[in-house]
Amino acid sequence: MILEPLVNYLFVSVVLFAIGVYGLVTKKNALRMLFAVEILINSANLNFVAFTRYLHPTSVTGQALAMFSISLAAAEAAVGLAIILAVFRLRKDVDVSEIKGLRG
Amino acid sequence: MSTVFYYAAIFTVSSMLVSMLSLSRSSSVRQSIPFFVSLAALLLSLTLTLFKMLNYLSAPSPIYTNLFHEDFLAYFFALTVLLVSLFVVLSSRNYMWGERNLAVYFSLLLFSTLGMVLLSFAADLLMIVVAWELMSIPTYVLAGLRKSDPFSNEASVKYFLLGAFSSGILLYAISLTYGLTGTTNLNAVLQNLQQLPNPLDPIAILMLALYIAGFGLKMSVVPFHMWIPDAYEGAPTTISAFLSAGTKKAGFVVAIRVFVVALPFLSVNWTTAFAILALATMTLGNIAALTQRSVSRMLAYSSIAQAGYLLIGFAVASGPAKTLGLIGVLFHVFNHAVMQSAAFLAVAAVDRAIGKVGLDSFASLWRRMPITALSLAVALLALAGIPPLNGFWSKLVLFTAAIQGDMAWLAVAAVLNSALSLGYYAWVIKRMYIDEPTGLGAQSKIREPTLISAVLLIATAITIVVGIYPSLIYDLAKAAVLAYQ
Repeated sequence: MILEPLVNYLFVSVVLFAIGVYGLVTKKNALRMLFAVEILINSANLNFVAFTRYLHPTSVTGQALAMFSISLAAAEAAVGLAIILAVFRLRKDVDVSEIKGLRG
Repeated sequence: MSTVFYYAAIFTVSSMLVSMLSLSRSSSVRQSIPFFVSLAALLLSLTLTLFKMLNYLSAPSPIYTNLFHEDFLAYFFALTVLLVSLFVVLSSRNYMWGERNLAVYFSLLLFSTLGMVLLSFAADLLMIVVAWELMSIPTYVLAGLRKSDPFSNEASVKYFLLGAFSSGILLYAISLTYGLTGTTNLNAVLQNLQQLPNPLDPIAILMLALYIAGFGLKMSVVPFHMWIPDAYEGAPTTISAFLSAGTKKAGFVVAIRVFVVALPFLSVNWTTAFAILALATMTLGNIAALTQRSVSRMLAYSSIAQAGYLLIGFAVASGPAKTLGLIGVLFHVFNHAVMQSAAFLAVAAVDRAIGKVGLDSFASLWRRMPITALSLAVALLALAGIPPLNGFWSKLVLFTAAIQGDMAWLAVAAVLNSALSLGYYAWVIKRMYIDEPTGLGAQSKIREPTLISAVLLIATAITIVVGIYPSLIYDLAKAAVLAYQ
């Protein structure tokens, strides 16, 4: 069956997505949460490429989207690291559960 | 040449120019020129939008390209977000005066505005992702602009993590859409989805849930609202106004394009979801707002509650009341943008003049800062939906749509919520007009920041004029909704 390899790719992508969400929900370290987001975005990239290869081989939209999303993720990581660095300079710690000055 | 190109040119050139000014040695150049350049860019693009809107009203001429839909819906949202940006830029002149990175601040503000404008026009999921990031990434930095302020840092890191999460989820949802339909153009998605054997396809349901979560994080829908109060309280108050009145509205226009335009075939799934989310969002927002001690935090929760009212329009968007519901969404988006930015900017004025925004600073504010107090009172009454202010009419349209769309329970809940919300809005007004001030020197009059006062007066004027002649904006919203149906 032709779809067999696609299912494998989708399985990996779903596992990556789950790891990303799990990391964001359970981890307290801002850097680890940033890694989790990167994993999440990569799971989407894998989807784009796999769908193009197996379902829509004549279109290049999927690959183009993957390229865009890689560069956007890089921009996001750059800004995120800068913000986390600023927090670290102030507190010597990037534990999000410790950052709770704002309370209702 | 397409209009979107003009917006892109205006904003790219001006924000590049502004960011280069940050390298200047002269501090007066770094402090003043960025403001004037941003102001010029915004006034130019507002003029362009108004001109295009007038042209469109006399002779409808939507332009559809692969990436952009230049229809009246787009112009309506572009007008709203540009107006909010104009308010924010004008107030920043007073509020941010003396901050170190002023050129960077204005440059990022312009980039984010360009992202919101592009988002109003975007009609391709690829363009939506790029514009979404262009809108979001500068605001992460803007929220944390005061690097030495721990609250600003906290707001920024929380906002960034949740914002990055939302773009990740959004990308995954788009990848599923691409897998199901083989395209990212919203019109083509609409056509290809109709060939789907069954609207209850599990992948389609997962895709919808991810879209709702991804957009919901920006639109402050309830299970995804946790970052809102922290971000709005910790960020510089002008940026809170920008986030609440600007970027949130851009979330709504994409949601309209994606759900109502591209995915009506799956509406069995999303109408009920939106009805439940609307109920949860407005109830939780209002109840949480009742217990707040800080005015900016209260406004953050009130902003969540207002998102709940807006979601009513989505809940009815596949039934008989579709047109009325969407008109209500557009009308309320405009009104909420004006009222909410006025409220936040009034808080910014108090913050700048008195230095803190606890409820105590607001005691008998009308004697100390009469213009600010009056504008804040009008904005809060409009947010509560008191006639004859603009908030009343847009809420009326939304609630009527709920009744026509066989969701009378939702309308009843929304009316009860509006009554509840008056509880905390009236409390602030009582604080400003009735309570006696405590502490020394709390009686003396304070010089109000000039430009913020001007912005507040303009916003108050819009609130009252639209309240007396609601058809001004209602007709525009109607034209926008009818244009693409």
